[in-house]
Amino acid sequence: MSEPTGSGPATAAAGPAAPVTGAPAIAVRGLRKSFGSKEAVAGIDLDIARGSLAGLVGPNGAGKTTSLSMMTGLLRPDMGSVTINGVSVWTDPVSAKAIIGVVPAEVRLFDRLSGEELLEYSGRLHGLPATEARARTQQLLDVLDLKDDAKRLVADYSTGMRKKAALGCALIHNPQVLFLDEPLEGVDPVSADVIRRLLARFAGSGSTVLFSSHVMELVEQVCDHVSIINAGRIVVTGTTDEVRGGKTLQQAFIDLVGARGNDGEGLSWLGSSSG
Amino acid sequence: MAWLLVRLKLRLLGNALRSTTGAKVSFILSTIVAAAVAVGLFISLAALRHNGAAVDLTAVTFTTFAFGWLILPLLTFGLDATLDPATLALYPLRTRPLVTGLLAASAAGAWPAANVIGDLGITVGLAHGAFAVFIAVIAVALQVLFCITLARLVTTALAGLLRSRRGRDLAALALIPLFALYETFAQVIPNMAEKGSLTAASFAGIDQWLRWLPPGLAAHSVVDASTGHPATAIARLAIVAAVIVVLAALWARSLARALVTADTSTQSAAVRGAGTLPFPRSGLRGTIAARFWVYQRRDPSALIVWGITVIVSVVASVSSLRGNGNPLIGVLLSAGFGGAFVGVFHSNAVGITGPAFLFEALALPDRRALRAWFAGQDQALALIGVPLVIVVPFLLAAITGHPLNGFLGVAVGLAAVGAGLALSNLFTAWLPYPVEKRAGSPTPRAVGGYTGQALVGTLGSLIGVAILISPVAVGVALTGSAAAAIRMPALLAAGALWGFALSAAGVALAASAAEGKLPELVQLAARSKL
Repeated sequence: MSEPTGSGPATAAAGPAAPVTGAPAIAVRGLRKSFGSKEAVAGIDLDIARGSLAGLVGPNGAGKTTSLSMMTGLLRPDMGSVTINGVSVWTDPVSAKAIIGVVPAEVRLFDRLSGEELLEYSGRLHGLPATEARARTQQLLDVLDLKDDAKRLVADYSTGMRKKAALGCALIHNPQVLFLDEPLEGVDPVSADVIRRLLARFAGSGSTVLFSSHVMELVEQVCDHVSIINAGRIVVTGTTDEVRGGKTLQQAFIDLVGARGNDGEGLSWLGSSSG
Repeated sequence: MAWLLVRLKLRLLGNALRSTTGAKVSFILSTIVAAAVAVGLFISLAALRHNGAAVDLTAVTFTTFAFGWLILPLLTFGLDATLDPATLALYPLRTRPLVTGLLAASAAGAWPAANVIGDLGITVGLAHGAFAVFIAVIAVALQVLFCITLARLVTTALAGLLRSRRGRDLAALALIPLFALYETFAQVIPNMAEKGSLTAASFAGIDQWLRWLPPGLAAHSVVDASTGHPATAIARLAIVAAVIVVLAALWARSLARALVTADTSTQSAAVRGAGTLPFPRSGLRGTIAARFWVYQRRDPSALIVWGITVIVSVVASVSSLRGNGNPLIGVLLSAGFGGAFVGVFHSNAVGITGPAFLFEALALPDRRALRAWFAGQDQALALIGVPLVIVVPFLLAAITGHPLNGFLGVAVGLAAVGAGLALSNLFTAWLPYPVEKRAGSPTPRAVGGYTGQALVGTLGSLIGVAILISPVAVGVALTGSAAAAIRMPALLAAGALWGFALSAAGVALAASAAEGKLPELVQLAARSKL
């Protein structure tokens, strides 16, 4: 693929821009992707500041996963460019892959490895010496509350444990920018809290986090920057307070994306009082 | 309830006809095979009419079919939704109607019908007289009922285990002895029969034991009825019926328990040997090799693949083992097939790795890293493949009484492993395809629309290995008159070097082919369902 050029300001009705100090950690320009006749991502421009904990929210099928896959070099865009800390993902993948960590939506790990082996594997894949990878593995297992299950096969892990293991894999090489796709989907509240605190600590140290979610409460609680994506376009982006505009994020989101469906009219038999 | 479950089963069968072409074809094929088995079994049993060992052969046949009923549901668990009691656990059903219903659902379908029709062959083969025919019909009904109840009891008792990861692993591994058994039957039995060392009388000894098992009792009851011992005949059938009642009662109990009990087998603690990964000082190649190496030991699909590779490489030499033909040819064939199958089974490494390949792709930014990925895989596979093509040829050479042939076998085997690995890497880069593990198939198969790639990968590896090892094979053929002290080391070194050179070339070519399409490989691997 020849390096695509920006396709101009494609975002529809972008909201107030986030205050970006210096070069952004993640800069996306004119990103597009179609699958057959369906346009999954219809031209995205996005800047995420360094040290930001940013959320990308949108309804199911809005293009969150496709966008994140293109930003991390795992899905070739039809058009557009992505730079991470000044490094172009699609022209210099060697440098780009060294500074990012990724937790994909469907956490498919090497499930015939034990949790401990999986983290060591991820560290060594990213070029850490085996001894260093093993030392970091033990620390991460401890923080992620997986120490007791370290020698069990990942195949026997619950969803929450898999998400935590995947997060450990993404963090072990201390990336500058972390991408997470639905990091708390199917995770119990205790594990979710562990993940949340770890992300906040990571971003607090000056690293950048971008995660997608459709859980508005979570995004509202932890993110300082929010972008709402719908039908493959960023409809608004800015600080959490700006996007909220005095309402809850949930309400702002519904107002922007639009409520759907009827209220179950026709189900007159449903409920205790119906007999 | 019974009728409802029978209709559910029929609907499931009918839906198979409306789903994907692959499912449709496999359903139609299965029905055709069932019909062929029905006709074939009927004719075979009927043809025993004037055979002295008729009852022995019938008892063996009945027992074999009962064994099949016992094993197949374990392998195909998940294909038939009525097999898993958990799918019905949410409904307000009592155990007794559920037992009747599930039994009736089991009896509906092409295979139970084929069993009944085929077994009825004993009305011609064993029964003499009207009363004996009557007893034969009851014996057939009881035999099929016994098979169904036995299969149900075992699947229900093991349902929790079969739903768990560990249970499915164990069930999948059962494929290795089954494949070995099949190959033995296919290769050894016809030959023994041909040479006259296997006759109908050979079964009489087996029947001494089998006659006391329910299938044997059913077969012998017909003979009793034919030879004027109606009381013995009825007593034998009564025992079979009693066994069925006991099995059904046990089944009902285990069904009641299975509906409310979770499986705990996989909640056991640590996996054996888990700890740190091997090859810590070999960089990215060693890291990749470590993952592949652990997978060769822990992934049941990998264990099955190695089991089949060993069986194939032994079976390829069966003719020389039996003393027909040139013993050297057998050893060389065995080594060649062993090496070729190492390649065949890994000719789609990205697809077999599945969605987890994404993790590795994040660390594979350039051609150098991809070279490490392919070389790491080769390293892990060679650690098993090379000893395999050393041990098997020497064993076979020793058995055929020409131990020196082992050296020649190893020379060809090393070249074949190198060629197999090279081709597997090339096909992985050129023609990758997503795979899926379907219920009933312990090894993953190409998803619909990719069977062409799978076929080209398999045949290409086999034919390619045959071509690539030909220089070494020709070397073996042309140096027959040379002194063994020179010939053996020279050929061994040539085979090893040639194999190594091939695998190195394979790594370089595959890495260069994969370099430009890593995102596409990731997307393709993500479509694998493992």
